[in-house]
Amino acid sequence: MGDVIVGQGLTKVYGTTHKTHALKGVDLNVQKQEFLSIIGQSGSGKSTLLNLLGLLDRPTEGSLELVGTDVGRLSKRERAAFRNEHLGFVFQFHHLLPEFSVRENLLMPGWIGGQRASLGAARARADEMLELLDLGDVKDKRSNDLSGGQKQRVAIGRSLMNSPDIVLADEPTGNLDTKNTEQVYSLFRRVHEEWGTTFVIVTHDRSIAEQTDRIVEVRDGRIEQDVRNEHLATSGSRPRTP
Amino acid sequence: MLSLRVALRFIAKSRFQSLLIVFGIAVGIAVQVFVGSLITSLQASLLDSTVGSSPHVILEPIEKGGAFAYTEDVRSIVRDTPAVVAISPQIVVPVLATKGEAAVPLIVRAGEFAGLDGIYKLSQRTVEGEARTGGDGIVIGKDFAEAYSVAVGDTLPLALADGTSVEARVSGIFDLGVQAVNEGTAFADSSLLAARLGLAPDEVNVVETQIDDVFSSSAVADEWRAALPQLEVGDWQERNAELLTALQSQGTSSVMIQVFVVIAVMLGIASTLAISAVQKTRQIGILKALGMSDSSTGLVFLYQAGILGFAGTLLGLGLAAGLIALFSSLAAGPDSGLFPIKLQPSFVTLSAGVGISIALLSAVIPYRNTARLDPIEVIQGG
Ligand SMILES: Nc1ncnc2c1ncn2[C@@H]1O[C@H](COP(=O)(O)OP(=O)(O)OP(=O)(O)O)[C@@H](O)[C@H]1O
Ligand SMILES: [Mg+2]
Repeated sequence: MGDVIVGQGLTKVYGTTHKTHALKGVDLNVQKQEFLSIIGQSGSGKSTLLNLLGLLDRPTEGSLELVGTDVGRLSKRERAAFRNEHLGFVFQFHHLLPEFSVRENLLMPGWIGGQRASLGAARARADEMLELLDLGDVKDKRSNDLSGGQKQRVAIGRSLMNSPDIVLADEPTGNLDTKNTEQVYSLFRRVHEEWGTTFVIVTHDRSIAEQTDRIVEVRDGRIEQDVRNEHLATSGSRPRTP
Repeated sequence: MLSLRVALRFIAKSRFQSLLIVFGIAVGIAVQVFVGSLITSLQASLLDSTVGSSPHVILEPIEKGGAFAYTEDVRSIVRDTPAVVAISPQIVVPVLATKGEAAVPLIVRAGEFAGLDGIYKLSQRTVEGEARTGGDGIVIGKDFAEAYSVAVGDTLPLALADGTSVEARVSGIFDLGVQAVNEGTAFADSSLLAARLGLAPDEVNVVETQIDDVFSSSAVADEWRAALPQLEVGDWQERNAELLTALQSQGTSSVMIQVFVVIAVMLGIASTLAISAVQKTRQIGILKALGMSDSSTGLVFLYQAGILGFAGTLLGLGLAAGLIALFSSLAAGPDSGLFPIKLQPSFVTLSAGVGISIALLSAVIPYRNTARLDPIEVIQGG
C-alpha cells in the first residue's frame, strides 16, 4: 500500500528576529488507511506538524508529498483547492459557521469545491452523514444552538463530506467530556474501517493514543518515538500528559 | 456564487449593521438628490422669473430714447440668427394715464401682438379679460389695475408728451410676476401710437429678442455688435450680473454640500463595513481552511457592499422622490410662495452611480484584509 504522506526534513522556524524552532527536521511517512496518533508535551510541535501536513502552513525547510503530489510546488490557490479535495480537518474548536444550518455546514466543503447548491445527491449524502452522526433531529438548526458534543460531530461530518484521503484532527476531543470523547473516537474508527480513510490525530491523552494503531511521539520539535501500538514503549522517557 | 450566498447570510445575520449601512446610504442619496433637485429647480425658477418673460438681447439706438430704422438689413441679421426664438420690434412711449383725478406715468410698449407675446408670454399671463391689442386695445398690469381701480372694458385716456391724448380701451390685465412691470407697463398695438408720434413705418425705439439658451445671450450680443455698429446691443446677463453671481455661488455651494454628504456617507459605510469584516474574520478563516480561495472570500465583502449599496441607493431615491412629492404638493398650494421642484433625472443617475461606487469603494479595505488573512491565524486562535 502506498504512502499518502511523505514528509522529509520538515522544519519550521517561527519569527524572524526572535526565532522559535518549532520543528527540527521531521521525517514522517504515513501509509494509506493508517490510523495514527501524534502525542507529545505542550509546545513540542504537534500542531505545527499537523498544520504543515494540512497545508495550512508552509515548512521553512523540507519536502512534503501528499497522495503522490509534491505539495511544496503548489500555488496558494492550488493548496486551497487541494485542502478542499483531499483533506478533512477536525480542530479542538469545532469552527462551524454560525450563519449556516447544520446541514449547510456539512454541504459547505462541496460548495467550496464548486458543487452546485441544489445538487440532490449532495443533500442526500449530508442527510446520510447526519444520521450516521446521530444528528438527524438537529440538521436544520443553526450550529450555535447545538451542544459541544453535537458541534464536534458536525465538524467531523463536515471533514468527511468530500471523501478526503486524509483526516487531520488536532485535539478533537480537547473540549469534550469522557462520554462524548468516546463517541468521537468510535466514530473515527467506524469511518476508518468502512471507508478506509487515513487518520492523523493529535492528542494529549495517552489513553486515546493507545487506541490507535501507531503512535508518533514528538518532543522538542523532533520525533522521539514512532511505534506500532502493540509494541508501544513503556520506558521512563514516556512524557507525562498534563 | 458561493461568495454571494455567504454575503447574503452575513447580511441577514447582522441585520442591524446591514440596516444601518442601507439607511446611511439612503439618507446620503436622498439628501443628494433632494438638494440637487431643489437647487436646480430653484435656479430654473429664478431664471424663469427673471428672464422667462423678458427680453434676452435688445437692439436700441445709440442715442438713448431715440428711434432707429428697423431696415430689412437689420431684420435679416436678427431673423437669421439661429438661437433667436422671439422678435419684437417696439415703439416705447412714456404716457400719463388719467384715471379720475390721478395722472399716472405708464410706459406703453407698442408692437405686433405676436412679437410682444413671444417675449412677455402675455397670453399665458393674463389674469382678466383677453390678451389682445389691435385697434385701441391695451393690456395693463395687475398692480396698476388694482391701484387705480381700472377694469377690463374701461377707457383709459393716455396723455402724450406733446400734450395731445389718445383713448385706449382696456382689453386685458396681466400679471408678469414683477411689481415694477405690473405697475408701470402696458402693451398696445403700434397702430395706436405710431402715427401720433410722427414715426416712419419702419422706425422703432427698441427691438427685443429671446433666444433658446439664455446663457448664450452674450455670444449673440457680441455677434450683433460686430454686425450692427450703428446700434446699441444689450444683453440680459450684463444687466443681471448680481443674479448670475448668486446663481453661480448657489451652484457651487450645492456641489460642496453634495461632496461633504458623499464623504460623510463614505466614512460611515467604510467603517461599518470594516467592523463587519473584522467580526467575520473567524468565518473567513474557516472558509479558507476548507479551501475557499482568497479572491472568493474577498468577493464576499464586495457582494455585501454591492447589495447594501444597491438597496441603500434604491431606498434613497425613493426617499428623495417622496420628499420632492411632498415639497411639490406644498408648493402647488395657492400662495405657497414656494417654487415647483422637479426630480432631476441627471441627479438620479449621478446619485445612483455615486451610491453604488461609494459602497464598493468602502469594500476595498475589507476585501484586501480578507484576501490577506491566513487561515492558520484563525485556526490556532480558536
Ligand atoms: N505562530 C507562532 N509564532 C511563534 N511561535 C509559535 C507559533 N506557533 C507555535 N509557536 C511555537 O512553536 C512551538 C510548538 O508549538 P505547537 O503549537 O506546535 O505545540 P503543540 O505541541 O501543539 O502544543 P499544545 O499541546 O500546547 O497544543 C511552541 O514553542 C510555540 O510557542
Ligand atoms: Mg497544539
